Amino acid sequence: MDIITIQNLKKYYGSGSSQVRALDGVNLTIAQGEFTAIVGASGSGKTTLLNMMGGLDAPTEGEVFVDGVRLSGLREEQRAVFRRKKVGFIFQNYNLVPTLTVEENILFPLDLDGARPDEKYLQEITELLGLMDKMRDYPGMLSGGQQQRVAIARALLPKPSIILADEPTGNLDSRNGQNVAGLLKMTAELYHRTLVLITHNLELAQLADRVIRMQDGRIARQE
Amino acid sequence: MLQNNNLKVCRRLVWRDIKFHKGRSLLLVAAVALVCMLYTFSFSLGGMIRDGYLYTYRMMYGSDSHILFYDVNRTQAAALQEHGSVREAVTLSAIGFLSDDMMEYRSVKLAAVSDGWARATEAVPMQGRMPEKEGEIALDELTMYSLAIPHEIGTEVSLCWTPADGGPERTDTFRLCGWWDSLMGQTETCAWITADTAQRLYPGGPERVALGVTLYRPKNLEAQAQEMLTDLGLSDVSYTVSLAYNEARREFADSEAMNYYRLGGIVVLCGVLMIYNIVGISAKQNVRFYGMVKSLGMTPRQIRALAVWQAFFYCVPAMIPGWICGFALYAAAAPLVVIGMEQNPAFQFFRIWPFVVGALFALLTTLAACALPFFRVAGNSPVEAMRFVEGERRRKARRGKRRRATTMQMAFTGLARYKGQSAFAAFTLLLSLCILCGIWTQKVSFDEDKYVDGLALNDYRLEDASATTGMQRYNPESRSITPDLIRRLTEHPAVRDIGLISTMEVDLYADEEMRAPIVDTFEGKDENGVARREYMADEPDWVAGYERMRESGEYTGIVMGVSGLMLENALAGGSVIEGEFVPEKFATGAYVIAAGADSYEIRTTPPVGSRFRVAGREFEIMAAVPYEATIVSGADSRQAQFNVTYYMPMEAFDELFPGHGIRNVAVDIDRDRQEEFEAFLEQLLEGTGITVTSFDDYRWNFRNAIFHRYMIPLFVGGVMLVIGILNFCNALVSRILVRSRAFAVYESLGMSGAWLRRMLVWEGVLYLGIMLPFLTAVSAAVTWVWGRWWLAHTNRWCVTWRYSLLPLWAVLPVLLAAVAVVPVCCLRVVRREQVTDRLRRPE
Repeated sequence: MDIITIQNLKKYYGSGSSQVRALDGVNLTIAQGEFTAIVGASGSGKTTLLNMMGGLDAPTEGEVFVDGVRLSGLREEQRAVFRRKKVGFIFQNYNLVPTLTVEENILFPLDLDGARPDEKYLQEITELLGLMDKMRDYPGMLSGGQQQRVAIARALLPKPSIILADEPTGNLDSRNGQNVAGLLKMTAELYHRTLVLITHNLELAQLADRVIRMQDGRIARQE
Repeated sequence: MLQNNNLKVCRRLVWRDIKFHKGRSLLLVAAVALVCMLYTFSFSLGGMIRDGYLYTYRMMYGSDSHILFYDVNRTQAAALQEHGSVREAVTLSAIGFLSDDMMEYRSVKLAAVSDGWARATEAVPMQGRMPEKEGEIALDELTMYSLAIPHEIGTEVSLCWTPADGGPERTDTFRLCGWWDSLMGQTETCAWITADTAQRLYPGGPERVALGVTLYRPKNLEAQAQEMLTDLGLSDVSYTVSLAYNEARREFADSEAMNYYRLGGIVVLCGVLMIYNIVGISAKQNVRFYGMVKSLGMTPRQIRALAVWQAFFYCVPAMIPGWICGFALYAAAAPLVVIGMEQNPAFQFFRIWPFVVGALFALLTTLAACALPFFRVAGNSPVEAMRFVEGERRRKARRGKRRRATTMQMAFTGLARYKGQSAFAAFTLLLSLCILCGIWTQKVSFDEDKYVDGLALNDYRLEDASATTGMQRYNPESRSITPDLIRRLTEHPAVRDIGLISTMEVDLYADEEMRAPIVDTFEGKDENGVARREYMADEPDWVAGYERMRESGEYTGIVMGVSGLMLENALAGGSVIEGEFVPEKFATGAYVIAAGADSYEIRTTPPVGSRFRVAGREFEIMAAVPYEATIVSGADSRQAQFNVTYYMPMEAFDELFPGHGIRNVAVDIDRDRQEEFEAFLEQLLEGTGITVTSFDDYRWNFRNAIFHRYMIPLFVGGVMLVIGILNFCNALVSRILVRSRAFAVYESLGMSGAWLRRMLVWEGVLYLGIMLPFLTAVSAAVTWVWGRWWLAHTNRWCVTWRYSLLPLWAVLPVLLAAVAVVPVCCLRVVRREQVTDRLRRPE
């Protein structure tokens, strides 16, 4: 069953001769539970495509359906709630709230929704990610790898339909990068989450069920 | 999709943010306290102005009661008191009124003590007490001065009064048991006696009483009074309603208060700018933060809640200091705005609502400022929000030859990078300086010396106790200014010159020839084709006096004996309209000077050369001069509303009216000895009831008027200037704080702390160096153009053009100090954090 369906997706910036075609007619489907890696050179449209899947940006043309929801049909308020409930984001620069503790950061999407966390699941995730003794710390007190693990825990806790990770290992050294990638794959498989990951790292891409290569705003190849 | 917007998380986020950024939060709290202070100040001041006017109207009305019913019988009074609209009532049972000639312009009722009425009219003895024993009386001070009654408890007082039933005038003797300060402007008051005394003097008591009522709803008093009378079938009862509740007067009071409330409008603008600028220190972080939390699923409503909680958390701790400072400012300004009250008007007119409204406005202002960053990204997707921040960082690539990175060049680059914020701070400064310099030039152009020289004929004028106000008829029998007092004054070493004036009303006769120019003047028509006497139609006493003279030639003359300075004042600086003033001839005592209208075209005095007799002695008019109204204080009789004034030497006056009183004394002193003279004067006049008007009073009045005129514009300009300076400092601070990572990069590349300091100070100096010529040129030009325009459109005689840029010069050292100190302090704060920590942080 397809959880993400993208139809003729276009995203243009600027106009006239200075127009940039970040996405130029992308068609794509991703099945539930699938681990998809998107690779490509800088400026090939990877991040734009990921942002479109997560409802972080609006397309110039085309449609994105996630778990049966047509994103262009949502108002801003609804789109925020959609992100909160259906999408788990993991960013390259972690995007943790510096004034909240690790625990509060992990619970943040649930807090926004006023929902109570599944305590067992929370404990499981934090143990799995090795964050048990860091829960009272602030992000500024953690290393880059630890911060990225907090971001992964935050993405997993609301049990979203899809997890979108934008170069999650980009700011980490190779050892930490491997660890984080392994954890990401393991947790996604363990909890049957659909994972879409952007990376420059081909080794990391090899972990995915499917690799999509982007070039000039189009899908150049799928493996 | 079910939307659940948990708002508690917003509160926690904001609270944590405040805890994490204590310095910025404290700065914001201080800014909000300043805003709250300004609102509290402006609203309190406006409220006080309004209440002050209403208080004055109440004083003029003379009673706290809302409606006064005059002349009702006791049954009617009882019925009115019982009416459903009436909350409280006081009655006055007057057995008559004082009918001495000297009480001409005032109505003093002789009445049995009524504590309620006394309280409502502020006619409660401040010295002594209310009458308790048979034959005692309590009076107000103006009455005592008019009747030359000494201020001694137990003094025998003979009063001429007319009974309420219109019976013949009679004179009775009382013992003074107390007195109180008269309310200025109040023309009615009471002379209190005991009920027994009233019964003895007026057996059976008066059938009619006066009734003052206080209503539950003090609105539409006229309609309510009519309704009460209609309800009770008392259509013929006369009444008056309190001036303090008159709609037109209340509107006027509201409009006067509005000037101060408008200050609140400026505070809105300035406050939002100031708080927004402080919030703007972390504007990029805020926008990035909003983008980030949006990406995690925070809804616009929750982001709005963030702004609300931010405003709330900054406001709550700022309220009390804001209120305290606002009230302190208000208490300091209040006595300068509302003058003549014994108690500080800030306390007298204290109200809670300005504090509540001030806090509410401060909250709204803070909310507006906190919500601005949100509105900048509202409607954008999270990615667009992030792009909004990054877009500001894009710079065009420089072309041209390669340059070395010098301190100066890096300072220029830093300055150019934040030119928008720098320009904004410069604009705020420019606006405030234009306002301040323009208003300051106007203010200093009002020439105090010119004003005082023009209005104060002499350094001091002493006024007889019976002639201190315009509603007091001067009593020639009053002897408060004694020959001994004159002698002691004259002998004082500080006194350079002195002059006396005594006046007497006399019946005179003008034959056809003498009265002809006067009649021609008043029967003649002015340039509008209106007979001049028509302008006096609403002055029946004047009309009666004029008609009497026109028909019979009999008129009231006011003969004034003048000496020394008073003669100089009478001659009005030598502007003789007709005839010639010859001092030697005048000194013989056979000649007088007539005083009349200030015009060469019309005559209101008999012709020069004509003669008249006073007390059997003949005088010839040697000259006519304009009448100088400020030469004497107090009022003359109603009969003398139409009169001709004649000045004669004091010696001649002495011969005509031996033992006469002295109405006014003019004194010029050596101003270097002013303090010594005033101490002497205070001692000399103690307990005499003599009033002194000094040149300093005029100076003070002038300063007070100028203060009132320019207080608000200067205050507004001052607030804007403070905000401009804060914005300037803020511009210096924020561009250092947001570059902490960039500085870490420089440091990691080997730039020393001293180099960084030098670079930042240069940056500030360059900023000031670029801004200053612009500020100076524009504010100087605006001040000049505005000032000259104002000068051309103002017709005040006491203005001398004085171009001043004082506010600009005053602010320069502050700005110089800021560019020297602020960057150094900020850099020290930034460098407390390790270079590696700063490098890790996104810019």
